[in-house]
Order: sequence, then structure tokens, then C-alpha cells
Amino acid sequence: MMENAWIIPLFPLLSFLLLLVVGKRLKEASAYVGMAATFLSFLVAVAVLVARFNQPTFEATHVWFTIGKMDITAGFAVTPLNALMLVVVSLVSFLVHMYSKGYMHGDERFPVFYAYLGLFTFAMLGLVLSANLLQTYIFWELVGLGSFLLIGFYFYKEEAKAAAKKAFIMTRIGDVGLLIGMILLFWQTKSFQYDDIFAAVNAGKLSNTLVTLSAILIFVGAVGKSGQFPLHTWLPDAMEGPTPVSALIHAATMVAAGVYLVASLFPLYEASETAMLTVAVVGGFTAIFAASIGLVQTDIKRVLAYSTVSQLGYMMLALGAGGYVAGIFHLTTHAFFKALLFLAAGSVIHAVHTQDIEKMGGLWRKMPLTAPLFLIGTLAISGVPLLSGFFSKDEILVAVWTHGHPVLFWLAVIAAFFTAFYMFRLFFLVFSGETRGEAHDVHESPAVMTVPMVVLGVLAVVAGYVNTPWFGTFLGDFLTGESGAHEEAPAWIMVVATAVSLAGIFLAWLMYSKKSLARDWLSSRAPITYNVLLNKYYIDEFYMITVGYATKVFSLFLQYVDRFIVEGLASLIASFTKAIGTIGSRLQNGQVQMYGAVTFIGLTILVVILAFTGGYL
Amino acid sequence: MSTVPLSAYLVLALMLFCIGLYGALTKRNTVIVLICIELMLNAVNINLVAFSKYGVNPSITGQIFSLFTITVAAAEAAVGLAILMAFYRNRKTVNIDEIDSMKH
Amino acid sequence: MNDTYFLSLLVFSPLLGIVLLAFVPKTQEQTIKLLGFLATLPSLLLALFAFGQYLRGYDLSRLAEKHAWLQFGKYSFLPDSAFSVPYELNVDGFALVMIVLTALLATLAAIASIHIKKEWKGYFMLFLLLEIGMLGVFAAGNLLLFFIFFEVTLVPMFFLIGKWGYFEKEKAAYSYLLYNGIGSAILLLVILILFARTGTSNIAALQDMLRDPQGAAQMLAPISDDLRYGLFIALLIAFGVKLPIVPLHSWMLRVHVQAPPSIVMLHSGVLLKIGAFGLIRFGMGLFPEQFERLATFIAVLGVINLLYGAFLAFVQEDFKMVLAYSSISHMGIVLIGLGALNEAGIQGAIFQVVSHGLISALLFLLVSIMYERVHTTMLDRLGGLAKAMPLVSGFLLAGAMASLGLPGMSGFISEFTAFLGLFKAEPMIAAVGTLGIIMTAVYLLRAVLNMTYGATTHNVTEVADIRTVELVPVLILMGCIILIGVYPDMLAQSLEATIQTMMNGLGG
Repeated sequence: MMENAWIIPLFPLLSFLLLLVVGKRLKEASAYVGMAATFLSFLVAVAVLVARFNQPTFEATHVWFTIGKMDITAGFAVTPLNALMLVVVSLVSFLVHMYSKGYMHGDERFPVFYAYLGLFTFAMLGLVLSANLLQTYIFWELVGLGSFLLIGFYFYKEEAKAAAKKAFIMTRIGDVGLLIGMILLFWQTKSFQYDDIFAAVNAGKLSNTLVTLSAILIFVGAVGKSGQFPLHTWLPDAMEGPTPVSALIHAATMVAAGVYLVASLFPLYEASETAMLTVAVVGGFTAIFAASIGLVQTDIKRVLAYSTVSQLGYMMLALGAGGYVAGIFHLTTHAFFKALLFLAAGSVIHAVHTQDIEKMGGLWRKMPLTAPLFLIGTLAISGVPLLSGFFSKDEILVAVWTHGHPVLFWLAVIAAFFTAFYMFRLFFLVFSGETRGEAHDVHESPAVMTVPMVVLGVLAVVAGYVNTPWFGTFLGDFLTGESGAHEEAPAWIMVVATAVSLAGIFLAWLMYSKKSLARDWLSSRAPITYNVLLNKYYIDEFYMITVGYATKVFSLFLQYVDRFIVEGLASLIASFTKAIGTIGSRLQNGQVQMYGAVTFIGLTILVVILAFTGGYL
Repeated sequence: MSTVPLSAYLVLALMLFCIGLYGALTKRNTVIVLICIELMLNAVNINLVAFSKYGVNPSITGQIFSLFTITVAAAEAAVGLAILMAFYRNRKTVNIDEIDSMKH
Repeated sequence: MNDTYFLSLLVFSPLLGIVLLAFVPKTQEQTIKLLGFLATLPSLLLALFAFGQYLRGYDLSRLAEKHAWLQFGKYSFLPDSAFSVPYELNVDGFALVMIVLTALLATLAAIASIHIKKEWKGYFMLFLLLEIGMLGVFAAGNLLLFFIFFEVTLVPMFFLIGKWGYFEKEKAAYSYLLYNGIGSAILLLVILILFARTGTSNIAALQDMLRDPQGAAQMLAPISDDLRYGLFIALLIAFGVKLPIVPLHSWMLRVHVQAPPSIVMLHSGVLLKIGAFGLIRFGMGLFPEQFERLATFIAVLGVINLLYGAFLAFVQEDFKMVLAYSSISHMGIVLIGLGALNEAGIQGAIFQVVSHGLISALLFLLVSIMYERVHTTMLDRLGGLAKAMPLVSGFLLAGAMASLGLPGMSGFISEFTAFLGLFKAEPMIAAVGTLGIIMTAVYLLRAVLNMTYGATTHNVTEVADIRTVELVPVLILMGCIILIGVYPDMLAQSLEATIQTMMNGLGG
């Protein structure tokens, strides 16, 4: 089965091409094409995962491109990590395809939407299957394209246009880091294959500086893609895209690609302590930084977006702290519960036609299916015991603690508290209390939208049990290839984690449901802090002033250089030519004797030159 | 017979040529300019004849060639003077620096 | 081999079109356009045929032609062959690729010429003459012939810009002539010095003489090291005008903006590439030692080109200007690749030559299609085109993506390979250059999204989308771009021998 894994990304690609050509004729039937393609991918992916349980890693390579005498290979590998990711990606993608049939119903560019989804899914699956860095980079850029197209799907909206542009450029900045790091590694190891790179690193063929440098450069790529500080600003803006897209790309799959990349290159990072520390610090900082912004946002999707950034920071922190399994584990569970949250949010938006949580409220009874599902997602992400998020978050905290990063550990704990607080703030504001908006005929979404949510809801509950301290660490054993890899953790960590999440929930309940605490507690006590948080620490403004204006000013300066100096040079040449002409025409005065004299002088000069140089030959 | 060396002929021709060139380029009277051109041609004739006698391969060719030159020079003088006469009738001048209407 | 006239046929087949066009009354618009288009086909078919055969392993040296032509004097003390200039055509992999590119773009540009509004007869005659010149440049076997074809491109181009261009067409045409005239003069000087000192202008023979230490013995007069430097720098300037290298670029901005888009397709797609072709073939081929010494300088020039063009493209208000500066920027990649002086770099440079030829042709084709409908290319007057013209907008976006080096398209392969090369040779310069990758995305997205996304401006609400006759060339170009992006080895194989020759010269 594994030798046929390459076929997995081809189904969505076919769907993309097919819809591009005949989409207009298929209209909303395009959804079935997309669904069928992703479902086939999912089936094959499951088969591959099952096959991988008891077979060794399969790898196939083929020469793709020759540069002089060097062969650049292309191929794919089925490692435990790949196999797992394939299933996650194709499953979420399939569910989102299904959900979108209801959500996008009536949109005039319905087939285009499905075509873009197909392109994205193809690229994402290709990325996951890649066995070498170059190929990863190729698909890495292609998922960026898919994301760009889907963010800008409502192209006529100025915000969507700006968001799409921003997403592409911000991730491109990261991509350049990845590109440089990749090329540096290539010239050291003469290969893009992960295996060759790891072999060279393990054999100590690369200097320490170089390993650190390239690892950090590659991490820059991951920072861009996964919305880590300081390249995170595009991700919240990316919420301009249709909500299913946010669920698929900006929650479950693409943004996790950065984490996935670091995980795939884990041996490289392990070889450099500095790189590991960088990853951990950036991740930890992003986790708390984004969570603090999430506390005060009022757009339902933006809260979820900052929560995504924060959770991705968690994963990075886990990887940076050496918790390989913890990072991947959280990536998996997060994919399920965050996709669930986004789809539920989409269902809410679909019903009330607004994204402002101040205008929602009292939806618990009106949306009898969406509301509990959203609650499941909220509980899971808050780390309430027995749900998936609890186990994976706990795993991360354990990893950070046992690898000796106490500061980062406490940061992560505070971030967990924030997470629980703002998620339940969101939940209470949207579902409890009285209706504050204008929408009256609110009704539950159609089955085609709720079924995917139910599936994700179930997964959000049970996905955690693949790797628990109580029932066995299947996932850890599978990923690391050895059994009992789970580290003995102090039991108090679990207690602390549970306590902070419950505390966050309790605080949110006091403020937003029971209302015994004033809601404007922060905005009235500390308006400056509140404003800073509300304006996302003014990072966008900061970039606008520094990078944005600097580029513009520099460009305009060059424009002047071009116009005056370079053009001046050109007119100088022109006037020089003209001057020669003027002198020449002055000789042409009709005086025979002048002509004769010039001829004679010319001849003399030629003779003199000939005499001095002694002729040519 | 005391032989006159080749260089003497050449120096004579050179002097004649230079006088002719100087006159042709500086004199204002067109008649004098034409005469100077004749001087230059004759300088060439002297060279031709001198080389036909004292050259590396002495032969009659040089003398024949100088005859041709004389013929052509005569024709040229006739044509030149004729143009000059016609010009004088129209413009009442033979000054060469006033003859520049060809540039237009 | 003298029994084949394949290359002559290929190069001169548009002549048939010129002759036939002479007999068509000049008011018959449809006939003229059709004939003009058909006349480009034989070259294309022959070129494709040759390329196909080459990929199957055909030996290109069997296509070489040689006929006695000019003899500049016979000297008893010199061999008979000295100062003779035969009519000789030959191609190697690189030249053949360029010929295929030229023939393809000529055909597509002929289709794009349906938007020409007046004097079709003169237009197509000049157009076909231009094609002969371009094909000849790549097939020429000696420097003099190269120069003659080079000049043949100059003249029709001057008239095509000056007569069928936009508002400032005359100024653009003269500035084109001025710069390229100076470039040609310098090139001629180099050619004549080489010819006088060696007695031959055959490229292969010159290569042997100039590269090989023993080769100096075959020369009629020695060429000192200083003179070689002088000649190389002269070549750099001559082809630098064509490429163009900053600061010799201002003529091409005017041409890009003022010339009719169908001509810009050829100009940007092929004529600029003659600069790159010349630099590789003559600069690197004849003076490898000098090239090696100045490699860092060339790489720096490349980075300057890349960034200068990118930053300026960012603030342009006219989409054609954006594309013009983008061409400058992308030609920087060629220099970057050449400056790297290794296989990856040179391959990247040549890939960029081909890839940018296709991409800029595609973009200008789309400009032509767009201008035909909305009559402007000013960015502030366009918006929301995607609503009225979804297909044109989609292709514009795809073209922009190709241009900014999206993987899966040809631009990525060339950019990546060129940078791969430079990172080995000059990592610091390359690191600065990568800033250009970001800037390319910034300015292209700014320009394209400004036109296609956002609210629809009133002047573009009711316009028709692309027509079939326009769609075909767009699809062909797009197909080629993606083909190279997905299967670059096809091109890499055909270039292998050329690059190997270059590397041998560089002592690598």
C-alpha cells in the first residue's frame, strides 16, 4: 500500500483541474467532485497508515532535475509522522469539503471555491509526503498560493484583497529564510534528502555554526507559515476568507505546516542547542503573546485566530523543549478541535450574518447542535480533563518542565489560563444570555454542515486517548518507534494544568455569564493595557511605519535617481552626440579650401599613427 | 655624366608639391588656386619620371603615365577655367571664399 | 556538412511571407493578418522538429552550414582562410532552445497582432523581417554574421515602435535607436579587433584561440591581457545595453511602455535575451579568464539590477512600467547566475533567459488583451477586473505568480537554480539578493491585485472576457511555463553540452 502513497495528493489535483475546466457547467455539483476526491485520498491515507503500523518506512526517489553533474531528486516517504499527517489532513479536508457545500451554497463562484480547495489539499498532501527539503519548499509555496487564493476569495472586498496580499508577503518573508537555510544545507551535504542531511549532521560533517544557522533560517520559514511572532500578523487578517477555509487552512493544516517542518527536521534541530532554544522561546512567547491579544478581541473568528497562533506557539514550544511527541500530539488534537471550533463558528456566522460577538448571544437554544459542539471544542482547547486537548497540553507542559525550562513552563501555564478564559468568554458571549443582535430568524445549519461538525466533535473528545499516561502511549510509540517512550512526569503538573484551566473558565463564567464581575474591568482599570491588547500591541502599525514606509521612501528615492541621474546620463549621451554633429556641420561650410585642409590634416594624422605604431600587421 | 641622385628629384618634387598645396589651400584667387593644383600635378609627374629611371624596376611605364597626367591636367585646366569664366560672368568675382553656394 | 539547408530554411522562411505580403493589397486586413501569422509557422515547425530530434539524441553539429561568402583580401604570407568570412550557420543546445523560443513567441505575437489598428501590411513585413533577424542572431556561426543579424533586428524594431506605438512612440523609437546604436558600435569594434588580430570571426575557432594558451600561436597578432580586458568590458557594455544592466536601461522602459504590446512580447521575450545570449556566448565563451576575474562584480551588478528594478517597480503607476522594471529585475537573475560561475549558476541564468522570455510574453499578451478592452493600463484607473474578466484576471494572476517564482512554474526553477549557484560562490551577495525575492512578490501582487481585486471601477464594468483566438496563445504560453516548471529536465538536458563547454572554458 505504501508504495502507492503518491496517489493520495493526485485525487485533489484532479479535482482542481477538472473543476477549473468544467466547473462552470457543474455549478454546485462541483462539491461532489471535491468530496469524492478528498474522500478517496482519505481512504488511501488510512490504508497507508494501517500499513505503516507493521512495516518499515517506505521511501521512493526519482531523479527530477539535473544541474551539471548533480541530481536533484524527487520522491516521497512514508514515515510515521507523514502517515499520521496524511490522515489528519485528508480527513479534515474532506469534512471541510462537505461542510462548504452548505456554507457556500448560493455563491456564484462556488465551483471556483472547490477548485481552490482541491489545489490547496493537493499541495498540503504533497507537502506532507515530501521526503526532501526542496520538494517540501515547492509544496510549501503552493499551499501558500492556495491559502492566498482562498483568503482573497471575496476578491471584491478591499479587506480580503489586503489580507490575501499580506498573507502571501509575510509568509514569503519566512520562505526566503527557508530557501537560504535549505541551500546552505544543500551545499554542505550535496542533497536535499532528509535522510542524507540527518546522516551528515549525525556524522558531524557540518560545523556547529552552520547547523545552528541553517536550522534557525529554516525556522524562520516555519515562523512565517505558522504565524509565530514576529511574522504572525497575517494570520488574524486571513480570517477574511470564507470560514471553512479558516478551519481547513488557518487552523488545522497549513499553519501547522511550520510545526510539521520543524518536526520533520527534528534531528537537525537536536544537533544545535541554540536552535532548539530559539524555537522554544519563540514558541513560548508567541503562546502567551497571542493569548493575551485574544482576551479582548470581539470578532469571533479573530479570537479563534489568535487562539490558533497561541496554540501553534505551544507546539513550537513543545518541539523546542525536545518534546517531539508532545508537539505532534498537540498538532493532531488541535487540528480536530480547532477545525471543529471554526466550523461551529462558521455555522453561527451563517445563522446570524455577523462576526461581532457583541451582537450575538442567546444562541444556545436556537442552535441545538452547534452550541454543544462548540462547547466540546471549547472544553477541549481549554484543557478540561478527559478531552483531547487536556492530554496533549499536559504532555507539552511535562515536556517543557522535564527539559528544564521553568520560565517557559510558567509562561505556558499562564497562557493556558488565558486560553481557558478567552475561549469561555467567547462561548458565554455567543451562546448564553439574551440576543443582542438584529438577526431573528436564526436556525440551525443544514445536515451537510452539522455532520462534519459531529465527526470532529467526536474526534475532539477521543483523539486524546491515543497517547495518555493512563491507557498507553500508542502515538508516542508509533512516532518514535520504541515503546514506553513516555517520560515519568511529576503528577502535580497535571493538577496545575487542570486548576488553571478551571480557574480561567470560572473567571469567564463570573464575568460573562453570572455577571458578578464587571465586564469592563480591564478597560476601565487599565485603559492603556486594554488598548494595547485591543490593537494587537500595535505591531501592524509598527510594521507599516518601519518596513512599509521605509520601502516606499526608498523606492521613491530610487525613482528620482532613475528619473534624474540615469535619464540625465542618457540625455548627456544624446547631447554629446549632438555636439559632435554641430562641430561636424560647422566644417561643412562650402569652402573648398577648408575641405582640402581637413583632408590633408586627416591624412597627416593617419600617416603619423601608422609611423608610430608600425602598421597593423 | 655626373648623375643626379634620386633624392634630389624627390626633394624637388616635394618642394613643388608643398608650394602647390600651400597655395591651393590659402590663396583667395581661384586662378592662382588652379595654377597651384597644376604645380602639385607636376610634382607628381617629376616623381613618376624619376622613378621610371631610378626606381627598383626601371621601365617606361612611369613616363607614359606622366604623359597621361599631363593630358588629364590640360583637360582639367580647360574645364576649370571654363567653369571659372562662367562663374565670373554671373557673380563678378573669382575669389574662392565667395564660391560656397554648393553647400546648400 | 554542406548538403543541408535546414537552418537557412528555418531562418529565412519568414522571407516567403514578406514576398507574398508584397502582393496583397494593403486594405485587405484579414488576409494580411492571416498571412502574417501563417508566415511565422514554417520556422516554428522546423524549430520544433529540430528540437524534438535533438531531444531524441540527434547530433546538432550535422545541421551546420558553411558557404564561401566574403573574402577581405588574399595575402601570400597568410593562409587562405585568413580574413575570409563564410556564410555559416550552426546551433548548439542553447541556441536551439533560443530559436524555439523565438519562433514560438513570433507566432504568438503574430496572433496578438490582431489588435494592431493600421497599416497592417507594413507592420507584418517589418514583423517578419524582425523575426529573420532574431532567428539569425541565434543561428549565426561567426561574429560578423551575428552582427549583421543583430542589426537586422534593430531597423524593423525602430519602425515598429515609431509607427505603431502609443503617444510618445517617436521618442521611444529614437531612444531605442540611440542606445542600441551605441551598443552595436561598441560590439562592432570588438568584433573588428578580434577579426583583425586573428583573421577569423568563426565563434568556435575564436574560442579555441582565445582560451587555449597554445591558441595564441595561431593568431595573426597577439592579444595582450589588457586588451582582452578592454574587449570584455566593451562586450559587457554592448550587451549590457541590450540586457539591460542598470544604469543602461532607460531606453527599454520607453520601449516597454510605448511600443505595441505584441512587439513588446518579442522585445521583452527575445530581444532582451540577445543581450544575455551574447554575454554568455561571447563574454563567457571567448573571455572566460576575464569573466572569472570580474565574476563578483557581475554578481553585484546582478543584485543591483534585481533590487533596483524591484524597488522601482513597487512605486510605478502604470502596469506596463511595473512590467518594464520587472524585466530589469529579472534580468538581474541572469547576471546573478552568471556571476556564480558554476554549473548551477549558469544553468539558472539560461533557464531564466527562457523562462522570463515566456513569462514576459505572457504578461504583455495579457496587457494587450486588457488594453484592447479597457483602454488604459494605469493602476489607479483599474480595479475589480476579476468581476468583468475572470479569465483574463486569472491568467494575469497566474502570470504574476510565475514571474514571482512560484514553484511549479518556470520562474521558480530559474530563480532557485541561479541562487543555488550564487550561494555556493558568494553567499553574502546572494543573501542580499534574496531580498529581491520578497520584493518581487510585493510589487507584483500590489500591481496585479490592484487591477483585478477590489471594488470594480466604473470604466471596466461592461467589458467582454477573453476570446478564443486570444485564449489559445495564452494557454500555450501558460502550458510552456508550467511544463518547464514541472519537468525542467527537458531543458536541462538540452543545455547540458553548452554548459559543459562553458565550464571547461572556466577551468572548472
